[in-house]
Amino acid sequence: MASDGAAVFAPTGGARRFRANLLVVLAVVALLLALIPLIAVFGYVFVNGIRSLLSLDFLTQDPPADLSATGGGVRNALVGTLEMTGLASVIAVPIGLGVAIFAIEVGGGLARAARFLIDVLSGLPSIVVGIFVYATVVVTQGHFSGFAGSLALAIVMLPVVTVSAEEILRLTPRPIAEGARALGLARWRAILSVFVPIGLSGIVTGVLLGVSRAIGETAPLIFTSLGNNFFTLDLNQPMQALPLLIYRNALNSAYASARDRAFGAALLLILIVFGFNLVGRWLTARRRLAGSRR
Amino acid sequence: MTIRSVRQKVTASPAPNEAEAVAIQVPVGEPSASAAGGAALGDVAITVRDLSAWYGARRVIRDVSMDIRSNAITAIIGPSGSGKSTLLRCLDRMHEVVPGARSSGKVAYQGVDIYDPEIEPAAVRRTIGMVFQQPNPFPTMSIYDNVAAPARFNGLVKGKAAQDELVERCLRQAALWDEVRDKLGHGGTSLSGGQQQRLCIARTLALQPKVLLMDEPCSALDPVATLQIEQLMSNLKSEYTIVIVTHNMQQASRVSDITAFFNMGPDRAGYLVELDDTRTLFTNPKNQLTEDYVSGRFG
Repeated sequence: MASDGAAVFAPTGGARRFRANLLVVLAVVALLLALIPLIAVFGYVFVNGIRSLLSLDFLTQDPPADLSATGGGVRNALVGTLEMTGLASVIAVPIGLGVAIFAIEVGGGLARAARFLIDVLSGLPSIVVGIFVYATVVVTQGHFSGFAGSLALAIVMLPVVTVSAEEILRLTPRPIAEGARALGLARWRAILSVFVPIGLSGIVTGVLLGVSRAIGETAPLIFTSLGNNFFTLDLNQPMQALPLLIYRNALNSAYASARDRAFGAALLLILIVFGFNLVGRWLTARRRLAGSRR
Repeated sequence: MTIRSVRQKVTASPAPNEAEAVAIQVPVGEPSASAAGGAALGDVAITVRDLSAWYGARRVIRDVSMDIRSNAITAIIGPSGSGKSTLLRCLDRMHEVVPGARSSGKVAYQGVDIYDPEIEPAAVRRTIGMVFQQPNPFPTMSIYDNVAAPARFNGLVKGKAAQDELVERCLRQAALWDEVRDKLGHGGTSLSGGQQQRLCIARTLALQPKVLLMDEPCSALDPVATLQIEQLMSNLKSEYTIVIVTHNMQQASRVSDITAFFNMGPDRAGYLVELDDTRTLFTNPKNQLTEDYVSGRFG
């Protein structure tokens, strides 16, 4: 004999169903609200910047001495940004990973102090970092330089890399960590050969976050790399960067050429960050082993 | 003292005689001279004396004294909370890995105190290997590397040819070779649960340990995989001293030569109730508690 469905499974009340649906609606609204500025900013920059970017000269030529003049490109700023961010990563990533590993594997008061300082650092306005490097490096050396700029960017990156690496390494599953211990592996070996590979995609994401943060910074560079209207690879020289170029051209946006240059450079910057993220994801995804169910 | 020299110290004693595995086949019903901690069988590999262990302020095992025989399978049975796993973890210094965990008393392997401050815990763990309840192959390593890498990291094997040979030998010992020989490059976690557990056994064997501690190695496995692991243990017993913690009394009676029954005391700390050769313990236990437990009246 078939039972009455409602008698076996008590029906969900209307009020409860309403609350569940309401939450879904609120979540979707929140998502849309979060997406609007993102899409609006990207769309606005894209529409205004794509015309500059479509010309190859934009990437291969330096800007004209007079910002109001048409033509020229942002080669010096592009190369300067890549060079300084690259050096900043070389400085910040090993230190950040080291602090994260220390905090997890050694722990104790020193690790907590280090973690606290890193947290303070992440809250520091980036212009303060710029002034600090100005006072310690630029003044000591007697001139602005790409090196000083890299150092300032490294200080900006450091907390991002450290915090994300620490969070990721903390997620190493305990059975895996115990397995490594039970096999008599040295701690550093377990970290480098077991824990870091497991957390690699998360660590790479953290590094990319740090790079994305540093690559768009203007304030730390104003007092350190200063900017340079000419092309240079020499880290001892003042060096141009995309944010600095955007800043300077945007200040002169009364001139259509300067305005277009600023938008083009802004779009280029966004695309670089986007590209880094894609490459990072591709690299970490490719490393998965055949048949792995991760 | 370097890790290397400690390892030599731990393993310096003469290898246990393989014939001893036979000596412990005591006929059913034969009154055994054994009492907890003093079984008159085979050679003693591990001596435990007055071992207590704590997690923080909570004592989880109390004053355990027992001898573990070489080239035999010792099963540790008992209800939940009786300290079986903790005891096992004290035998290769894995207990102290947990923050706040400590122990007192003595554990000696071949007469060498494994808690001697001069002894490197890592060296103890290489000689006394452990297999866990949940198979835990390294997820980013291939099947091949899961076996070869720990041995390589510990400096036990050098060169491609030696590694190939080691991987094949250990996978054969773990009865896994035929199933994985064509996919050694696949991820360790691509295997089934039972295969993963055998991979973990192979990985431990690659360190050439003398003792295998197995903490409920089959509890996450299906009956077929369980049977495979049990057969594997029987095959390995001629070369290794095996201690297995199990919830499953049938498993203990199937595979082990000696069984130790643990119970949780009134202070909620586990203690050793009775240790005897397996048949005696299951058919003719001396302690009423043991009788009640093996006949399924509690636990």
